[in-house]
Amino acid sequence: MKTLKTALVAAALVTAAALPARAGTIENLERERAILLETLLAADMVPQDRNTKVAVSKGRLIDLERMVIRDKSLAGRNTPHVRAAFESYDLTFLVHAATEKNLTLLDHWLEEVGVSTQSLMNARVGRR
Amino acid sequence: MTRTITTRRAALAGLFTAALLASAAPLPAAADTDATWTPAASERLIKLPGNYLKKAIDNDFAKSGLAVALNDNRNLIGLKTQTLKDLQSAIEQADGDLRTELRHQFLAEKRAYLELTARQHDLRRRQAKTKIRVYERLLQKMGRRQAGMTPQKVALIAKQDEARQRFEGSLASVDTKLFRSTMTAESRYAREYAKNVTAIEALTRAIQEHPMNAQTEIDGMAVTKEDYLRQLIGENEAELALVQQEETVLGFMAKLVSLDALALSDDLAGGDADDDVARDGQDNPTAVTSAVDLFVTR
Repeated sequence: MKTLKTALVAAALVTAAALPARAGTIENLERERAILLETLLAADMVPQDRNTKVAVSKGRLIDLERMVIRDKSLAGRNTPHVRAAFESYDLTFLVHAATEKNLTLLDHWLEEVGVSTQSLMNARVGRR
Repeated sequence: MTRTITTRRAALAGLFTAALLASAAPLPAAADTDATWTPAASERLIKLPGNYLKKAIDNDFAKSGLAVALNDNRNLIGLKTQTLKDLQSAIEQADGDLRTELRHQFLAEKRAYLELTARQHDLRRRQAKTKIRVYERLLQKMGRRQAGMTPQKVALIAKQDEARQRFEGSLASVDTKLFRSTMTAESRYAREYAKNVTAIEALTRAIQEHPMNAQTEIDGMAVTKEDYLRQLIGENEAELALVQQEETVLGFMAKLVSLDALALSDDLAGGDADDDVARDGQDNPTAVTSAVDLFVTR
């Protein structure tokens, strides 16, 4: 009986793993954007590696951003994910917005999250 | 001997008159169990453009038992009107007992005509009422669909439209800047997408120019689907009002038939009959007003 239960649980796990977990266009875009930001902010990366990785990510993001804006299934889909994505165009469509504003990706992102030269200059080192 | 014949004719005429009087006033429509039409206000109908929607409902009606019954009855009315005209001309040429017999026949045929017309009215009323019910359900469903838009959803759609506009507006300049350098080449997705867009645009243009895709119009003015549905409901309400008015005409005809029957009975009792006045036909042989002449003459 115990063997049968174990076999059933194992079979269920194998079936669940075999089913493809299809991510939507927004999820794919967010994953790729997270990788790009991680690359941009990575302190332990040499500039050449960073440039190569950013170029690859940027190419993918151009397509993914276009896929999201053209995805008809997202129209009116009132989920927190979709709402958050369209709440801030400049952060979601990072590559297109940065190119539109003639800014580098990092400058644009920092500006959008509220980190500017002025705010950094005004910052003080202190204990939290 | 002459007195006996006259008494018998008067008795026969009295019986005939009584039968006509009993049946002439209210004319109940025949119970048509097969003459039904039960269209459904489905989601598919809501998605159709206005003029297709009307065509779909008309096609559905054409396949129904009600449409078959209406057509059959219309043909019967046409034939009956012809019979009445033939009898009327025959009465003009006949005299004596044959004339009396023909007048009896004429009255009986008038009664049959009234029954057929009453049935036609009943079927037309059913058709108009069913159409109104379907159009009203469609309007309600469309309203419910629009009521499903919460303020949050409306705001999201507005944001999405805004994002799309900004995206499309900056796309050309972004493309120029992005693909200017040899570092960033166009992806397979971008190339295939552009190809598909060209094909889609060609197809969309063809659809827009297609004569069957004309927008719904009322008096040459483009209208929304809701307006068009309201117009269709109005047209069917008008049909119902006309049927009601025609029933009044039918009531007067029934009254005339009963008066004619009384006059015939009176004539037979008196031994004399008035001359009939013949009049010529109308444009639409099945319209109830085209038969008025057959009833105003005796």
